[in-house]
Amino acid sequence: MERIAAWLHEKNPGLDGPIAPDEDLIEARLIDSMDFLEFIDLLEDISGDSIDLQEVTIDDFRTLDRVRQRFLSATG
Amino acid sequence: MSTASTTAMPETGLKSPGPGLVTLDPALTALLRGLDDLLTGLAARLAAPEVVGPPLLPAEGLARLDYFRNFPHLGVSAGRFTSESLDGLAAGEPATDLPLRPTGYLLPSATCYGLLLSLEGEDVGETGLRLSAAGRCFRNENHYDGLRRLWGFHMREVLYLGSKEGAAQHLDQGADFVQELADRLGLTLTRAAADDPFYDKGGSRARLMALDPVKHEFSAPDGTAIASVNRHRNFFGERLDIRAGDQGPAYSACVAFGVERWVHAMILAHGTAERALDRLRAARG
Repeated sequence: MERIAAWLHEKNPGLDGPIAPDEDLIEARLIDSMDFLEFIDLLEDISGDSIDLQEVTIDDFRTLDRVRQRFLSATG
Repeated sequence: MSTASTTAMPETGLKSPGPGLVTLDPALTALLRGLDDLLTGLAARLAAPEVVGPPLLPAEGLARLDYFRNFPHLGVSAGRFTSESLDGLAAGEPATDLPLRPTGYLLPSATCYGLLLSLEGEDVGETGLRLSAAGRCFRNENHYDGLRRLWGFHMREVLYLGSKEGAAQHLDQGADFVQELADRLGLTLTRAAADDPFYDKGGSRARLMALDPVKHEFSAPDGTAIASVNRHRNFFGERLDIRAGDQGPAYSACVAFGVERWVHAMILAHGTAERALDRLRAARG
């Protein structure tokens, strides 16, 4: 999760402190729509699995908690 | 003068001056004006003051809103003939063959852009701000189709800026209004998630929108979308430094109506412009 937090801070330099695990990353645009595919690439790189956008919902990306459960549970 | 005579077709026809361009005849004009009056009811319901947006928009401002990243194909640019061309023009050379110099301004493709750009750097407060406006909007298209797809058309919008919750409520109120008005006018509309016409349909923004639609359209039975509800999250608030008090960058949302498309939907539903006008008058009470 550290790489994800680092990526979010890099994209949002105005952010102070840690991102809450239940913060809505989509609605607050911490993941900007122009960066969404880059975020997918990051998740694929960390998890080692490809992500089929036909088989996910937006809620799978909405919070750090959900991202961990959905994509990173095998790697922790 | 009776209403019938003011909406009767003139003896002479009204020809189209070019693709996607029309002169609305008296009956269509009466429909357009009458429907726009009814659509303005949303602004009255939401206490949104009426304003008039600018007729041209700076390319630099639009670029900051990612307009060209998203819709480079739609923009209708304002150009001036180069000074070297003026003598030729005055001497009768064909205007279509002469070079244009960009002015750095475009015709609006949506009504809300001009309003948003006018609010740059403002604080709309935690209670938020609503504005209503109608304007002519212009989009380059691959094809034009009657009143369904014009090069220039009237778009009425009610824009909200403020809190995340306020933006969501604005769209709920807008959607309720569209359905209520459609019922009064005898229109059957279908609501569905919609795509904005992104140039890069496989790009990041389009892919996220497919997962999380931020635009819903209300469409007539032939598929013509006549109204939409659009949420922008805090994108415009962030890009234009528009704040909502202590809540940070304002969230925004707009309800938009393509007025010529409402005219089209009325004729589709009621058969002729005259019958559509009768229904419109009945709906106005």
